[in-house]
Amino acid sequence: MKPARVMLVDDTPTRSAILEQALLDQGLIVVCRLESAQGLIKNVEIHQPDIIIMDLESPDRDTLENMTVLNQHNPKPVIMFSEEGDSQIIFQAIQAGVSAYIVDGLNPHRVKPILDVAIARFREYQALRKELKQTRDQLADRKIIDKAKGLLMKTKGLDEEQAYHAMRKMAMDQSKPLVDIAQNILSVMEFLTL
Amino acid sequence: MNGAKVEKKALKLGYMPLSDCLPLLVAQEKGFFAQEGLEVELQQEVSWSNIRDKVIVGHLDGAHMLAPMLLASSIGLGGLKKPLITAFSLGLNGNALTVSNTLHKELFTRNAAEFDQAITMKHVIEQRREEGLAKLVFATVYPYSCHNLQLRYWLASADIDPDKDIDLVILPPSQMVDHLKLQHIDGFFAGAPWNSVAILQGHGHCLLTGMDIWENAPEKVLGVTLQWAEENPNTHNALIRALYQACHWLEFHAEESLPLLERHLSLNSPLIDQECLIPAITGEYIFDHNQAQSKAPGLLVFNRFMANFPWLSHGQLICSQMKRWHWLPENTDCDALVASCYRPDIYRQALANVTMPEDDFNNVHLAIL
Repeated sequence: MKPARVMLVDDTPTRSAILEQALLDQGLIVVCRLESAQGLIKNVEIHQPDIIIMDLESPDRDTLENMTVLNQHNPKPVIMFSEEGDSQIIFQAIQAGVSAYIVDGLNPHRVKPILDVAIARFREYQALRKELKQTRDQLADRKIIDKAKGLLMKTKGLDEEQAYHAMRKMAMDQSKPLVDIAQNILSVMEFLTL
Repeated sequence: MNGAKVEKKALKLGYMPLSDCLPLLVAQEKGFFAQEGLEVELQQEVSWSNIRDKVIVGHLDGAHMLAPMLLASSIGLGGLKKPLITAFSLGLNGNALTVSNTLHKELFTRNAAEFDQAITMKHVIEQRREEGLAKLVFATVYPYSCHNLQLRYWLASADIDPDKDIDLVILPPSQMVDHLKLQHIDGFFAGAPWNSVAILQGHGHCLLTGMDIWENAPEKVLGVTLQWAEENPNTHNALIRALYQACHWLEFHAEESLPLLERHLSLNSPLIDQECLIPAITGEYIFDHNQAQSKAPGLLVFNRFMANFPWLSHGQLICSQMKRWHWLPENTDCDALVASCYRPDIYRQALANVTMPEDDFNNVHLAIL
């Protein structure tokens, strides 16, 4: 059995590189990786993929869908791997942000493993992004808290420990996150020194 | 609030950033959803395919949807197969055909008096063929859309074969103007505000509106799955009542909604400002950058002419056109398919205090026969 030919369309190059590697590891062929639908139809004709994996949030999905009504030589969007709209795999794919189109003829049994890989990698990427954002937010929060602490120390003559405790007490009393209290302190101080 | 307790309170509704998504925005902003006991979250989407898929798998409870999608999805054309229904039309009309300045000039040179007639387009196409020039390229927004069907209908009225004599491509509405500017396409048939954007920026000329093809044509609907409607009948009724209120409000206050519309449409589109939203909303339409406004009242109809009624005849027109282009098999039973997708019975039940037509049919006036 010849390995399936996969085409990737994703405007996030990091993610599609990860997915490409994972697909290659499975013995599949990645014939083409596009960052946008620019030249999409032409590339499908040139590379003749068996399956196209596309970022669900790409506005170019509608462009690709048109290939269903063109003619038989063009790829038909896969009926999302099943005749039934409610199957679990479709739900997972959409949740992970994956859409996929198979060209007429690729056996549906060969689609699922490819889709599983795509879903897994998209999820992994989602998790990475989330983690990165959290780290960034935490760093930003830390900066604000440190700044507010420094300001309290300077204006109120407190030491670091006291300044920190004062802010934490305010946060607990008002049941607000520490960073909000710090932000408030900065705004008020800024206002007073205008 | 009217009637029975809603089965589901918190709803997620999808929409595409186009002028005719206004009923959803207004129902949210003016509190019409809340009055019906609904907590609605509106979610902007980037493609019609997403709207369909997310409604089908249940990520969205319902959405601003292209009317022909109901039929296509119910029989599994081009994507997931699941019965979709509508019991509420979000309005009528709104589409227009804009051509590049170059093509406009060609048409005008060919026949200044009838530059906007399909027959002139036919002559230009023939001349280009004789001169060995490339086929004209037109874009619409989605294969199974009234845009595509109306453009095809217009072309075919002058014996232009849309599958052979021109290239017909699909592009997201927000990309139309750029592609027109870069001359990747010679024209596009899309909804508001994209024609006005192209014209105000001087990149094209509006040849005609959808009303010149089908007067008071079906366009967007509130689409839900049949399953969802069966599981949430009271919620569905409440949703219809809230949207009806919004459409009724819009009929008299459309201009007031401009800031709201701008806020949502400019989220992901730097080209959108209030100026380009005005023409379709007010009917003071602009066909050419250098000309004064012309009246095109009814370009977007939100409520009058019983615009919200899910006419079976709308479904019939769409079904017959989908058959015409061989998208639906010849033996498709349009009566049965349309009756499964269009549900005036639900509309009648939801809106007890609204004047109802006696019949479920109201033929769309075909401006070109």
